[in-house]
Parts: sequence; structure tokens; C-alpha cells
Amino acid sequence: MALDKMKPSVNLSVLALFGLVMLLLQLMSSATQESSELGEMYSWLLVVNVLGSVILLWLVGANIYTLTRQLKKREAGSRLTTRMVSLFVVLALSPAAIVFYFSMQFLHQGIDSWFNVEIDRAMEDALELSQASLDQRMRWHLRQTQQMAATLAITDSQMLTQEVENLRDLAGASEITLFSRPGKIITSSSVNPGDILPSLPNEDIWLRLRQNADYIALDPVANNELVIRALVTIKSADPKYLQVLYPVPVRIADLADSVEFAFLRYKEMGFLRHSLKLSFSLALSLVLLMSLLAAIWVAFISIRSIIAPVKALVKGTQAVASGQYDQKLPVIAQDDLGFLVESFNEMTQRIASARDETRIASFEVENQRAYLETILANLTAGVISFDANYQVRTANQAAYRIFHIPVNVLIGRTLLSLAESESELAEPLKSIHRLLEQADDIWEQRMAFLSHNGRQELLCRGTPLFSQDGARVGAVAVFDDVTDLIQAQKNAAWGEVARRLAHEIKNPLTPIQLSAERLQHKLAGKLDIMDASMLQRSTATIVQQVEAMKEMVDDFSEYAKPSKKQTVAINLATLIQEVLALYVLKSGVKFKARYESGALIINGDPVSIRQVLHNLIKNALEAIDSNGEIEIGLHRVQKNSTDFIQLAFYDDGPGIKDEHLEKIFEPYVTTKAKGTGLGLAIVKKILEEHGGTIWVDTSRKTGAGFIIQLPAYSPSTV
Amino acid sequence: MLNRLAYKLGFCLALALLPLLVVAEDFRASIHGISMSVKNHFYALSADIDYPLSAKANEALQNGVPLYWDIDIHLQRSRHILWDKSLVAKKLRYRLQYHALLNMYRVIDENSGEIHNFSTLPAALELMSSLRDVPLLEEAALVQEKQLLIALRVELDRNALPLPLRPIAYLNRQWYLSSEWILWPWTK
Repeated sequence: MALDKMKPSVNLSVLALFGLVMLLLQLMSSATQESSELGEMYSWLLVVNVLGSVILLWLVGANIYTLTRQLKKREAGSRLTTRMVSLFVVLALSPAAIVFYFSMQFLHQGIDSWFNVEIDRAMEDALELSQASLDQRMRWHLRQTQQMAATLAITDSQMLTQEVENLRDLAGASEITLFSRPGKIITSSSVNPGDILPSLPNEDIWLRLRQNADYIALDPVANNELVIRALVTIKSADPKYLQVLYPVPVRIADLADSVEFAFLRYKEMGFLRHSLKLSFSLALSLVLLMSLLAAIWVAFISIRSIIAPVKALVKGTQAVASGQYDQKLPVIAQDDLGFLVESFNEMTQRIASARDETRIASFEVENQRAYLETILANLTAGVISFDANYQVRTANQAAYRIFHIPVNVLIGRTLLSLAESESELAEPLKSIHRLLEQADDIWEQRMAFLSHNGRQELLCRGTPLFSQDGARVGAVAVFDDVTDLIQAQKNAAWGEVARRLAHEIKNPLTPIQLSAERLQHKLAGKLDIMDASMLQRSTATIVQQVEAMKEMVDDFSEYAKPSKKQTVAINLATLIQEVLALYVLKSGVKFKARYESGALIINGDPVSIRQVLHNLIKNALEAIDSNGEIEIGLHRVQKNSTDFIQLAFYDDGPGIKDEHLEKIFEPYVTTKAKGTGLGLAIVKKILEEHGGTIWVDTSRKTGAGFIIQLPAYSPSTV
Repeated sequence: MLNRLAYKLGFCLALALLPLLVVAEDFRASIHGISMSVKNHFYALSADIDYPLSAKANEALQNGVPLYWDIDIHLQRSRHILWDKSLVAKKLRYRLQYHALLNMYRVIDENSGEIHNFSTLPAALELMSSLRDVPLLEEAALVQEKQLLIALRVELDRNALPLPLRPIAYLNRQWYLSSEWILWPWTK
């Protein structure tokens, strides 16, 4: 904007400078004219012109220096400017130099042609002729004067004045004066009676007169007139001096004056010949120098203004190349370059808007993707998408939670290759892969596998993905961990069974027991000893079995009822110590307990947790010998950023067979002859009701091992 | 290293230019014998001027180039704080010219228009040399002042030279014919 405002002033100043240069040169040229009034100012004009040249030289030098620096820095447009300026200088210099050279030649030849031997001789001769002519006249007048002197020498002194008057008339002299020896005027006669004082000879003339006895000379008088002054000595006893002034005819005087003027002028010109050449050469050189310098300077300015849009364009292009699209170049002129700049601006504007649109679109897509990812990540169901080669493209966090394989390991691999590294998941992964390959529509399948957390039930659903033209582009599989759901269903079923049993079976048991006891009581006395003892055994058996049935029913009802009644903070280490104390003395089995330092506190119902421990210990005691070993470890673990207290329970018994592993926590599953098979089922139920888990530690090779994890107590969760 | 080289070069240049300074002849006019007297109730100045004309100036004269001489006379009152006050400023202008036809040198007093012809150059210069009783100021005008300053200068008017000679006259020492200002303290 500021540049735009400055532009007219720059143009004006350039015009003004050019005008000034031309004026100065014109003034100097005028000053060289002989008649010019500017002649007196010539020296000043010369100095001013030289100063102007120096200023212009400085300006051009400064421009060249700036350009050189720009070239070194490889600034935009500097090379183009250099090329244009060089071209301009060459174009301007060549004709100017040629004109200058020939002008100098013509000038020197012209000046030289003024002078030659013939003119020299003619001039000398003309002057000599004039001098000879005057000399002749002077000699004649001298003779005339000498005759007058001779006449006066014999003239009587009283008649002198009269005689002088006569002689003057006769000779046509303008003035005759007679001097005595010391130079005193004796008498005088003038053609002009008004002249009181005659023209007196100076000391020099007297000197020469005394030396030569005669004196004749041309004397210039006022108004460029010439007179011939003749002085002769009148030889007598009293010598006198006669001075006669003869007028030179005006025509002769004029001619002599003209010849003299021309001669002197010619001599002066001859003398000034070299100075003249030098002076003209100087003026011409100055004109050339100033015009050239001014032209180069103006060239610099105008080329710069031409290059400015190109420079801006180069910078703009560089900016666009580096990703800055918000470039708006100023349109300096409405010419082709201006049109180019406008087009560039339009282009950058369009690129910028296109980029903004793309950015907005990609931002929206990214938002959408992030939103979908958030949804997917927060889904409890694992979602895995596959490409056309059944390599995993995406997987959500739930997939990791289900399979325990980190998402980054999943990505880019096929399920078959995963099955090789994950032996536990080999079967389900292979079957999913098979389904993905084969299914043409939505499929659903339930499958189970054994993970670190025990047996897990999965409900898998999948669908192949097709492109718009029907080509298979991949597939999506959704996994739901239905372990807890199935367990809950089973638990509910078992609870219902237990409730029914309690209700349907326990009720008739008491009348049966009472009836058996009554039979024993009534009939014992009436039967013989043999029958009585048989009755005794039978009723005892009935009562015993009824008791056993009652116990079983109680166990079931125990299993069916909720265990988490009153929750308090329980220090597990203390609780284990208390429970173990009951068994250490009684059983003779060796207990090994390892607790991690620090608080190992959970939130739960102490009675239920105590029962868990009892059941586990009882279970183990039944499996091992009297000199066996039970090992209990207690430490803190972190899973899915939640603190858990992990209880590891190991015995050195026969262990659990693989075929029992899957259903060991289900009711009525036992490997022992005795027992209802509810022990571990109750343990699992209690733990699940406390938010914990239990699974068989299959990594343990000797004996059986259970891992229990319960959420660690934290005051904020209560 | 570079500095030493520059010093050496400078020294060599100075040595080379030294003869020029010695040889350079002075052609400037000189003023001497200044005196003041009272003539006809006027303070009048007398002085002698030497014109050692250079060969170039002589040659120019012989070739018909007139030489104009200005004799500047200033009578000043010396002041302490401000510059000196000029009481009288007088300029005498002479033209010295060669007359080829008569083979004479002519001195023209430009102020009065008087023409003096001489057959020799020294005679012509003699006329310009002796300033005799140039009236400056009335006696009555200087009653209080006791201590005054007379400034004198003889100048060759270069701008009156023919045009082609002018630039050379400024560059060639042979044309440096003007005298310096001479300051002469005059006590009444």
C-alpha cells in the first residue's frame, strides 16, 4: 500500500531528475557560446554537472552493490534484473559510444581544420601588410616632420607660432607642439581649437627620443583611433623638439583594427586549440556520462518496478510450495504481469479453499472415525474387521480383553498365523477363520476355550463384507464373552433346583424320619430280638439316610441363597491365618503361606469368604495324604488398571484331570467318593458374588492349583 | 599484513610526490610595501605588487588573450565576538592586453577607462604594480578608530578568460596567479 503511494512520487522524481540533467547540460552547452550571458557561470555549471555525475555515479554504484548482494544471496528476481540491466546498458552504451567516438573525431577534425599553414601565413601577411602600410605612412610623416623641423630651425623665434600654424595646415597634422629641451611647451597648434593642453609624450618617448634623435610611432588614442606621433630634434644652439600628431585616416585605422582583431582572434584560437578540444571533449564526455548514468539509474528503477511482480510471484510460488496458501500478492499494474498476479492470487485462493474443504472433510471423517472407534472401544463385544485376505484390519479393546492378545499384535495377521502362536486359542481361531472364508451370509457360533482366567464361552457372529460391485472385500466378526451369562444361567438353574429340592424333598424327610423313629419306638418292644435288631438297623439306616439327605438339601439351599450379606473390609492375610489355625493342629498337613507386605484388604462378607477358604482347604485335605503340603500365596496384582488381591492355592495331591477341568466348578462334579460336589461350585458362586474370579492354574504340573482374584479394597469404592 | 603493505605504498607515493612539491613554482602575485597616508583629507593607500607571470600566462597574453586583474582593498574594523566589520571595500580592475599591430602592451584601467600603452611587458606590469595614494575614506569618517585592518588581494579573474581556458585555469598551477589575502594592521 505504502509502495503504491510512493510510486507516483518516484516517477515524478525520476522525471524531475531527467529534466534537471537536461537543463544543466543545456545550460552548459549555452554557456559555451561566446555571446552567451551564461559564460560567466560556465565554471559553476561545470562543477554542478560534475557533482551531478558523481551523485548519479553513486546512485548507480549503490544499485549495482545492492544487486550484487542480492545475487550472492540468490534472492528472487535478482538474476532477471541483472540480465535486463546488462542488456539495457549494452543497448544504451553501444550506440552512445559509437556516436561519442565519431562526435569526438568530427570535433577534433573540425577544430584542426580551422588552422592550416596557408591561413597562418595569410594572417601573418595581412598583419605585416597593415604594419608595412602604416610604416610607410609613418616614414613619410617622419620625413615631413624632419622637413618641418628644418624649416622651424631657421625660423625666427617671434614667428614660430605663426610658422607652426602654417606648417600644421600644410601638413594636414592634427596637432603640432614645439618643446624646449626640458620638455616645456614653446608653442602649440591644434586642428581643434578647444584643445588647450597638447598631447604630451611620456618618459619612455623622451628617453627614446634622446637616444635616437627621432621618434615615430603609432599611438592609439581614445575611441580606438590611431594617431601617428612624430618627434624630431630641431638641431640648433638651443635644441628644440617638434612633436607632430598626424591623424591616421579612419578607413585605414578601421582596416588595421579589423586585421589586428582577426589576427589576434586567430592567434588566440590557435593558442586555445588544445584547450578548446579538451573543453569540448570534456563537455561531450560529461553529457554522455550524465545521460548514460541517468539512463542506467532510471533503468534500474524501471526494471525493478517491472521485476517487482515477478519477484512477488517467485516468493509467492515458494510460499505455496512450502504449504502457505494464504498468499495475496499486490496487483501493481493492470498489464500482463498484473493479470498473471491476479491469476496467481485466484489460484492460491482456490487451492486454499480446496485445502480448507479437504481439511474440514478429513476432520469430519476423522471425527467420525474417532467416534466409531470410541463406540467400538467401549463396546463390551470384541469387534475385529478383516480385509480381503482375512488379515486383521482393525480390532477394538474388547477384542483384547476377550482374547488377551494386544491389538497391535492382531493387526495385519491372519487368524491362522495367530493360531500358531496362541496355542490355547488355536481351535476357536481356526474355526472362525474357516467360517470367515466359507460363509456367504451372517453366521453365528458358540465356542469355548481355556484362557488364563479359566474356561471362557464365546458367542461369535460374523458377516462377509461385499463391495458395491459384489466383490468380497473382507469380513467383520463380533465376539461376545458369554461365560458369565452362561454361568449365571447355570447358577440360576441350579439355584432353582436347590430351592425345589429344599422344598420338595426336605418337607417329606421329617415325617419319614419321625415315622421311622415312631416305628422303632412302637415296635421295638413287640418284636423278638432278631426282628427288633433288624428294625433297629433299618430305622437307624432310614434316619441316617434322611439326615444325610437333609444335609444335602441344606447344602443345596446354602448354594442357592446369596452369600454377600454384610460387607466389611477384610484383611485376607489375617483371615487366612485364622482359618489355617483351625487346620494346622488337627490335620498334620504342612501349610506354607507367603504374603506380600502391605495391606491385602478386600471388601466382602467375612462368613462367606471364610467358607471359601474352608471349602478349598477341605477339598485339598481330602485330596492329599496326611503328610501332604498346602501352599497359599497372597499378593497384589493389577488387571485392566484395577487392583486385585490374588490368592494362589496349591496342594501336592493327584491334581485335576484334563477332562474335569471344564466343569470342575459346576455343582455335582466331584472326583471323590464322598461329598455333594457343591464345594467348588459354592466357592465360585461366592467369589463371583464378590466380583472375583477363580480358575484352575493349569500351568502347575504337580497337584491342583487355584487362582482366586478379588477386587482390592479401596475406601472410595465402598 | 595488509596494513603494513598500505603503509609502504603510502610512503612510496609520498616519496614520489615529494619532488613535485619542491619543483612546484609559485606564480602568485605578492603584495608588499603597504602604507597609508592622508592626501587631500582622504586616507590613501599605497602598495607595491609583484606579478611573476607564469610561462602559460605569458604565452596566453602573447596570443592576444586579455588578462583581467582585480585588486580588492578592504578596510576593516576588528571585532572580538563577531566577524570584522568592513568599512570600505574597493575594487580596482585592470586589463592587460597585447596589441599585435603596434607590438605594444596595453593596460586599461577598467574603472576609469584610461588606456596606457607600453612597448614592453615589464613596463606595462610596472603600471599595475605600483598602487599610489588610492583614496579609501574621508579623514573625518575615522575619528574614533585607532586600530584598523587593511585586507588586500590581487586576483586574476579566471572567469574572464576565454571559455576553453577556464577549466584548465582551475586545474593548472601555472594559472594560480592570484595572491592570498594580505592583512595589514594599521594604527593611525
